[in-house]
Amino acid sequence: MGDAWSDVLVASFRGVVQRLGDVAPRLLAMVAVIALGWAVAAIARRLTVRIFRMVDLDARCARWGLTASLSRSGIGQSPSQVIGQLVFWTIFFVALLTSVEALEMPATAGLAAGVVRFLPNLVVAALVWMVGLLLANFMAQAVLIAAVNAQVALAPLIAGAVRWLVLVFAGAAALTQLGIAREMVLLTFGIAFGGTVLALALAFGLGGKDLAREILESRFRKPDGDDDRLTHV
Amino acid sequence: MTEPIGAGHLLTDSDLRSVDSLGPVEVLVGVCALNQSRSVVRVVEAAAGGLAAPLADRKSGIVVVEAGFQDDTLDAVKSWLTKRIPAVPVSCVRIAGPPSRSRAILGALAVAHRLGPAACALVDAGLLSLTPEGLGRLVRPILAGEADCVGPTYTHTAAEGTLTTNLLAPMCGALYGRRIQQLLGGCAALSGQVATRLLETDVWESDLIGHGLEIGLVIDAIVSGHRIAEVHQGRKILDAGVASPDLATTIAHTVGPFFRLMDRYRSFWSESGASAPVARIGDPPTVVPETGEIRLDRMVRAFNMGLKDLLPVWEQALQEETLASLYPLGLLSPDEFVFPAEHWARVVFDFAVAYHAQRLPRDHLLRALTPLYLGRVAAFLRETHAGARAGIPTVLEGIARAFEAEKAGLAARWR
Repeated sequence: MGDAWSDVLVASFRGVVQRLGDVAPRLLAMVAVIALGWAVAAIARRLTVRIFRMVDLDARCARWGLTASLSRSGIGQSPSQVIGQLVFWTIFFVALLTSVEALEMPATAGLAAGVVRFLPNLVVAALVWMVGLLLANFMAQAVLIAAVNAQVALAPLIAGAVRWLVLVFAGAAALTQLGIAREMVLLTFGIAFGGTVLALALAFGLGGKDLAREILESRFRKPDGDDDRLTHV
Repeated sequence: MTEPIGAGHLLTDSDLRSVDSLGPVEVLVGVCALNQSRSVVRVVEAAAGGLAAPLADRKSGIVVVEAGFQDDTLDAVKSWLTKRIPAVPVSCVRIAGPPSRSRAILGALAVAHRLGPAACALVDAGLLSLTPEGLGRLVRPILAGEADCVGPTYTHTAAEGTLTTNLLAPMCGALYGRRIQQLLGGCAALSGQVATRLLETDVWESDLIGHGLEIGLVIDAIVSGHRIAEVHQGRKILDAGVASPDLATTIAHTVGPFFRLMDRYRSFWSESGASAPVARIGDPPTVVPETGEIRLDRMVRAFNMGLKDLLPVWEQALQEETLASLYPLGLLSPDEFVFPAEHWARVVFDFAVAYHAQRLPRDHLLRALTPLYLGRVAAFLRETHAGARAGIPTVLEGIARAFEAEKAGLAARWR
């Protein structure tokens, strides 16, 4: 009885040790891949920040209004640091996926390859969003200045509307690129955009007749006689 | 020195033949047009009269250079030429490329380089106040060897040329040390040597927007140490033509090139001293009070609207203390509105630094100056209206001094 008991225990222990022996190299490989991925990601982040600082990206982004947008979104870092973080987390995320693959578990087979295949879409969507953000800021600022110079009341409101219109458009384009509920995005965007334009047209035409007249008059009407005497150059 | 931009680069073969038909000339008048069919004939007539009478002893010619998008200007001149034959030959040419007044001037300079005159007068095709005698007065100092570059001065009211009196002229004086009344006078005369020298620089391509070349021409003459003189031309009447721009565009097309030139001539202005007047020929220019009513409330409203709505933009351009000095102005009614010259000079220099540092898209930055400028004009017109305590010369002197004082710390900020 005692021998049988000890045989069972020894066999179980051997089984555990054998399984651990099988898994240990994979675990070690996983840890090594994570450590290596972290190191590569950290180096890449530092290099990226340095390169973008060399080309004066932060000053340029401040000029384009991107820094202000980031700040408004609660991101206190400079654009070069943000890009550096993106590079870090992208590389580290791929390293994590690769490390999970190293365990050779059936459930995670092909996970890394699938995610890597999806990465280009993610990059393009991020670029689309970034360009949209820049364009939205640029256009909003241009509209704001033009409206103030034309002495149009509610100039910030008009500029804000332009900004959100461009942002919504860019967001829809980015989501379409990611393939996330493509039909729903297109349909929603079409309805929302069409509805907004119709609402604005009605509001402007019916409720904002005076504002419309004010804008058109300040843009196209010849100045009054007393302004004719004022010349600038 | 680079190879001068030749007429061959800018004109078609038929236009070159037309220019060559003028032959070697001692005096060339370049009438620079930008869609100005309405006024060009009167200006050509005055120029022809000037070359036929006060300058009759010199072999001369006129070239009308159109850089706009319409054919009407040249058609109007050609039609006039069929009706009467002027005493001097007239050639009409068109400059290819985007419409630009500076491009027309560049074309006239290139024609001058080709024909090699002793004196070249550049006249805006909208300068209706040009007279034959006025052209003679402009060109004579060049022919007599008394000056290399002659510009006009005008008698005008305080409400005329406010961008010049409140920004361009005082800033030019502060930076380049010469008090010039008109940077955009609508006419100028250059010696043939100066005209050719201007073409030898390869940087003009960036100055062909708006009034870039006109302003660059004057500043380059100062920086190069050419002898500059001003000649009184009476009152200025200018027809800007069909392409008359709005105020924000005018500011972008004048102040923008001025700021850009500050980069090019930094070494000069960072070492220049106090300003001195240039040689004056004829009556002294006078600025007379505006007697008519001009509604200042609109300008003050524009300023207040800017202060309310453009703050996010101004915050990027102005220093904190400059911005802080503007807030109290927003509380003043139009009847008591003031915008001290010292504050205004600080605003302009802050904008120049922001332009240099490219803190904002440059066009946005320049257009965002418009409400501030209107505020300053309102204050200036209040200071100079008929019956005001301080005389106009005192006010203008105060503006010049404010700009000179503000220049002191500029070089350190210009990184």
